[in-house]
Amino acid sequence: MLTCESLCKYYQSSKGMVKSLDEINLSVSKGEFLEVRGHSGSGKTTLLLTLGAMMQPTQGKVVFKGTDLYRLNRAERARVRSSSIGFVFQMFHLIPYLDVVGNVLAGDDGNHSGACSKSEALLQELGLGHRLNHLPNQLSAGEKQRVALARAMVASPDLILADEPTGNLDPENSKEVCRHLKRYQEKGGTVIVVTHGDAVHDFANRTIDLKAGEIIPGPLLDPQSDEA
Amino acid sequence: MLPLILREISFRKGHTTIMLCGLISVTALMTAYLSTESAAERETKRVARDLGFNLRILPKQTDMDLYWFQGFSDQTMPEATVERLANYQGVFMTYNHLMASLRQKITMGGGDVILVGVAPTITSPDKKKRPMGFTIKARTLHLGYQVGQRLGLKSGDTLQLSGHDFKIEKVMVEYGTEEDVYVYGTLKDVQGIAGKPGQINEIKAIDCLCLTADQDPISILRNELEKILPEAKVIQDRVQADARARQRQMVQRKFEFLSPFLMVCGAIWVAVLSALNVRERRSEIGIWRALGKGGGFIAGLVIGKAMIIGFFAGFLGFWVGNTMALEVGPSIFQITAKAIKTEWSYLVWSLILTPLLAAAASFIPAMLAVTQDPAETLRES
Ligand SMILES: Nc1ncnc2c1ncn2[C@@H]1O[C@H](COP(=O)(O)OP(=O)(O)OP(=O)(O)O)[C@@H](O)[C@H]1O
Ligand SMILES: [Mg+2]
Repeated sequence: MLTCESLCKYYQSSKGMVKSLDEINLSVSKGEFLEVRGHSGSGKTTLLLTLGAMMQPTQGKVVFKGTDLYRLNRAERARVRSSSIGFVFQMFHLIPYLDVVGNVLAGDDGNHSGACSKSEALLQELGLGHRLNHLPNQLSAGEKQRVALARAMVASPDLILADEPTGNLDPENSKEVCRHLKRYQEKGGTVIVVTHGDAVHDFANRTIDLKAGEIIPGPLLDPQSDEA
Repeated sequence: MLPLILREISFRKGHTTIMLCGLISVTALMTAYLSTESAAERETKRVARDLGFNLRILPKQTDMDLYWFQGFSDQTMPEATVERLANYQGVFMTYNHLMASLRQKITMGGGDVILVGVAPTITSPDKKKRPMGFTIKARTLHLGYQVGQRLGLKSGDTLQLSGHDFKIEKVMVEYGTEEDVYVYGTLKDVQGIAGKPGQINEIKAIDCLCLTADQDPISILRNELEKILPEAKVIQDRVQADARARQRQMVQRKFEFLSPFLMVCGAIWVAVLSALNVRERRSEIGIWRALGKGGGFIAGLVIGKAMIIGFFAGFLGFWVGNTMALEVGPSIFQITAKAIKTEWSYLVWSLILTPLLAAAASFIPAMLAVTQDPAETLRES
């Protein structure tokens, strides 16, 4: 459902070329929970944004549900994101002036009549039923991340991309976020989490390691699930 | 999108207030300026009639002490004097208008009024301007404000004077000058009432151009005119008129320079604040992009916000400006308070133009927001 071929992302900086992603070949099947591990600066975020139709790669292609994402124009890519991809970030990136429900429905273009009740049900499920009309600055970090999760999940996207979703959370909250991602996967969604910690590890059914922009063969690489 | 913008506006109250204040100031000053200016224009005619006269020509025997005390000459001269002056082809002086009048104190309703009979204005043949001042129909009177109050008369009423009925054409607004106790009629009518047929006691020569302007021309003028008008004496009342006219022009000119400057300042103010707002909202913009919103949406957030604030600023700015005009307009423009009125059309213009100014000013910040790379902000951790 998601594949990338010889994916490269180079940055031209004053101190020369930075190879953020180098010849990445990856295939993720529907219903997978993929963990991408790597040290800081290894290119995890770059990979995630490239896979998520947010960042044009220097070279290579990303095929999502049979479409070469970077052959599409910007508006078409935006439509793919809005309908099929949910993002979760380490910094939550909630919209500060919208309440919890407003944040969850931010991506909604207003023509789904059931969106509101769906978002409330989702928030109940995430244990935020009593926080529906609070602003982000009234929430704890764990609660914020669960709001971000709800926002990523509400449109039932095929793919959720999470960048260090547990990076700012204590172990307890980290586990909870992972459990929710896991549940999403079990219902048929696909989840890719990039992280440098190991909170996610027990929930993933595949882990790859990234080093200096390259996938390195590691003990945890499980070749049997590596199919399109 | 509107609810979203309104939430953001109420969330960042400080930012909203600062932007609002800037736009209110611009709109208020523009409104205040424009409404006082149009009042000033309306007033100009009156001011010119009162103060723009450069010469008064009075009967020779006039007791000047008495003249200044009571406001009119106790002597008279023949009406033909004004014709002779009009036909005079002197090299020293040209004029725009000549207004002959007969002024007389009479008692009316238990108090004194100055009855002024006004002859039709004579316009200089080489000037194509229309006659100034107001024209009065026979058998009608224009009452000064104070006279109207005292007699309890309003336009349309009838008044008996020397056995004739006069229709009150209008009661004038309060000028705050001696004109408030004047009653204007035609020269013929007033001559009849005063029993002085064919007589006048004052000629005002408006906008006289003296060809010896660089030195004090009064004595030359006097000599010249008194030669052809032996029955008259000439007084020049230039100083006050010029000072006032100059002051008014100066204020006007200052504002003419100020208004585009004000608009530019307002635009810069909005542009800078919008740009700061866009900076503050980088992560939000990144998220909107991740959620699949396009550039139009992002630009709409920025420009829409500016326009909504502009709309409120247009409303409040008009209100503040209008209040300012009514309060301070009269003193800076040297015009009577009654002349300034609320110009409702400016409200419509403020409500249209202030949002447009704000929209134009926020265009560049909006483009910054649209071209911002969402990946950059979303990578930041
Ligand atoms: N705009 C840029 N210009 C130059 N180099 C960049 C730019 N953006 C990212 N890089 C480099 O690309 C590499 C990968 O960055 P990326 O953000 O993907 O790392 P990461 O694995 O997510 O790190 P972290 O765990 O700290 O978030 C880093 O070495 C970074 O310095
Ligand atoms: Mg990162």
